[in-house]
Amino acid sequence: MSIDRTVRHVKAIITGTKYLFSGPRMTIMYPEDIEELPEGYRGMIEYDWNSCIKCSLCAMICPADAIKMYVSKEESEKEKKIVKRPGINYARCIFCGFCVDICPTNSLTFSKVHDMAYYTYEEHFYPPDKFAEGIKHVHKGRRVRVILDEKRGIKYEPVD
Amino acid sequence: MQVQEILNILFEPYIFIPLVFPGLIAAFIVLLIIIWLERKIAAKVQLRYGPLYIIKPLGGVIQTVADLIRYLFQEPIIPKDVDKLAFLLTPVFLFGLAYLPVVVIPIGPSYYAFRSDLSLLIALALTTLAPIFTVLMGWASNNKFSLIGSVREGYLVISYEIPIFLSALSMAILYGTLDLVEIAEAQRGIWGIFLNPVAAVNMLVLMYMSTSKFPFEIPEAESEIVAGPYTEYGGILYGLVMGASYVKLYVLSLVYSILFLGGWNPLPQSMIGNPFISGSVLFIKSFILVAFGAFLRAVYPRFRIDQAIGLGWRISLPLSLISIFISLLLVMGGVRFVY
Amino acid sequence: MEAEERELELLIGPQHPASGHMRLIAKIDGDVVTELRPDIGYVHRSVEKIAETKKFLQIIPLVERPSLPDTTANNLAYVMALEKLLGIEPPPRARYLRTLLAEITRIHSHLYGLGIHGVMIGSSTAYMWCFGDREPFLQLAQELTGARLTYSYIIPGGVRRDMPKGFADKVEKVLRYMEGRMKDYFDIYFNNPVTRARLEGVGVLKREDAIRLGAVGPNLRASNVPYDVRKAEPYAAYPDVEFDVITEKAGDSFARVMVRVREIGESIKIIRQVLKRIPDGPILHENYEKLIPPKLKEQYKSTGIVKFPSLFANLKAPEGEAIARVEGGRGEVVFHIISDGKTSPYRLRMVTPSFRNVVLFEHLTKGARVADIPAIYGSLDYFPPEADR
Repeated sequence: MSIDRTVRHVKAIITGTKYLFSGPRMTIMYPEDIEELPEGYRGMIEYDWNSCIKCSLCAMICPADAIKMYVSKEESEKEKKIVKRPGINYARCIFCGFCVDICPTNSLTFSKVHDMAYYTYEEHFYPPDKFAEGIKHVHKGRRVRVILDEKRGIKYEPVD
Repeated sequence: MQVQEILNILFEPYIFIPLVFPGLIAAFIVLLIIIWLERKIAAKVQLRYGPLYIIKPLGGVIQTVADLIRYLFQEPIIPKDVDKLAFLLTPVFLFGLAYLPVVVIPIGPSYYAFRSDLSLLIALALTTLAPIFTVLMGWASNNKFSLIGSVREGYLVISYEIPIFLSALSMAILYGTLDLVEIAEAQRGIWGIFLNPVAAVNMLVLMYMSTSKFPFEIPEAESEIVAGPYTEYGGILYGLVMGASYVKLYVLSLVYSILFLGGWNPLPQSMIGNPFISGSVLFIKSFILVAFGAFLRAVYPRFRIDQAIGLGWRISLPLSLISIFISLLLVMGGVRFVY
Repeated sequence: MEAEERELELLIGPQHPASGHMRLIAKIDGDVVTELRPDIGYVHRSVEKIAETKKFLQIIPLVERPSLPDTTANNLAYVMALEKLLGIEPPPRARYLRTLLAEITRIHSHLYGLGIHGVMIGSSTAYMWCFGDREPFLQLAQELTGARLTYSYIIPGGVRRDMPKGFADKVEKVLRYMEGRMKDYFDIYFNNPVTRARLEGVGVLKREDAIRLGAVGPNLRASNVPYDVRKAEPYAAYPDVEFDVITEKAGDSFARVMVRVREIGESIKIIRQVLKRIPDGPILHENYEKLIPPKLKEQYKSTGIVKFPSLFANLKAPEGEAIARVEGGRGEVVFHIISDGKTSPYRLRMVTPSFRNVVLFEHLTKGARVADIPAIYGSLDYFPPEADR
């Protein structure tokens, strides 16, 4: 065993000991701490009933066929022609954001929710009226902000 | 008076040492704590938390108890084509034989279960029984991965047993006796590690090699042979085999502390009669060695089998012969020990 | 004993801690591997056929997803081929932003490969550190594009979003953090004598064999062949930045690991140059910008987030063929689109670097030991879903 190899063994053990006593931790304690997501994060979609002009561009561009147009019965009867509004299936949505980017009236917007859970498969389908209600999801944790740091990489600071 | 009599019997050395300390119950507690400690140490080095959620203020220390309860209640699946008797009995034997050498370990100059002129030899010889059952486990499992793992274990045993014996016996040459009590008493002035450091370092590395600690975790190399001989085991059988290697390390480190780290020395004369204090000093020393073995998981990758065997034959064997030579030189130079 | 009885046939199959989504059929004689055949196709999902039924813009998320974690390379190669068909070139600022995202992706893709390799040879510290250090880069990408890994950021004509305010400072902090960590990586993992003993001299790929078998990416460059698509056929902003092509002479697993580590350093250099030299200007081609209605165009100019023109929902490419090549983290990505004037391509051919590196499995493991199989596998940075598509 040469001297060089022994020195490298010792260096490895010393580095390990250094991190053992003063190592930072990069874990975020989800779900007690919730990360504060930046503006423009691509989460679940919110739909504004009134500004939608029913152009169906969102359904045409969706890559995963998650947005489909549903016939809106009352409006069709009122206007004497077929009126369709978008509904979304979150089991297929891939959160790419093409629908938000193509909507000409900004009726579709991003929310910051990405971790919703459902009990049955049918709950994934949001017909237009449920789609317009918005995302009802309450995070019961403490909000923390992610700070990028030169020494530690990632630090978490509570937002208050 | 019944309770008093029972306590008197319990504290007799030939019951206390194998059963309570450093025997079965102490080995069990060490096992629970060291598995948790290994995960926490590895987590701290790797920038994360490790087990945390069970009793959060204590840092998740009850995690191992929760794991043990889960293993007890999990159904051990016995595949159809295994050799049933060998499959079911080898983990029990492995765990039992792993801590058998503890009967000859003294925890005080006058508190020992079994004293003999050859107790060092008995302790070392009993540790060589366990690997037979590892090899048998691999054969009984009827699985190609287990076969490869047990063959690796067989090769490793051959390459570490001779140097371990030679290093330990070199200290016996130095002290002039094979009796563990006298060896511990002889280090009242100076510890064995300063007299013969070559043997100390050599035996430390070989101790980790014999109990599958990183970088020698070869028979159970996860990324190559799933879990080696332990692949087909589930439930409490898996808990037993996983614990057996830690228990073997614990027993070997007790022997190491007596040989090289002075046993229960240095203690002032007044305290040396009390077995609890001398036993605690011995226990702390051996626990530090076990914890160091757990710490190495976070630093090293794993050797290849031919590299580990090469280390055993090409480096450890010559070093152990050198340590015998050093001991002979010291004895001929006039070093004597008084008991 | 006859040779048939001595030889074990080991199926390192999909249900194995270190096999990934593929099966390796190994014939072992004692501890020596006599033959190793990879059995690929476990996660084949016919991406190329699905692409014939989707519109051009819908294919962007489709082709990104096989190649986790190096998604930007596939995205960029596909859009470059599409732009050749459409006959447009992106504006300069969009080219620089594409390079920025490609280099950030390259860094965290290399860290992924190094981490998986570490846990395959037993060092869980390397695994946790590499994956922990990917996190700042994923946070940067999340600020820029809105998603952590599957960005879908590059569209025909430019990119989807502009850099937010204060982004350059955050990038600089993360780059300095990565440079500061390299010393600890070397002390505990790359210079560790056990790592060196496991990786040096294992799976040597000679220069002639690398060229003859068609290896790509760092595997090729570790055998002393200085070939990089960013220098051979420059694209995006690579003509304007200076960087070296990293090669190593030894050709063994350790050389491949070292090429990746040093390429992280080169990517850091490229990102710094891109941030310094990035020009101002639009991020979408003018042909598409003028199709956006005026009110939305004001919103796009003030927020920096592109609103797609409604043409994108029914984009038709003229008839013809186009090929584009991009240097991804694992090697060269080639996309070939044949269009017949409709909204979906007639044929999409996608050649991924892992698919071209599969042949190295059989070649490198002849005569190696059983414990060398994970060492070689990890050093090739082979990603089964990318090879199977």
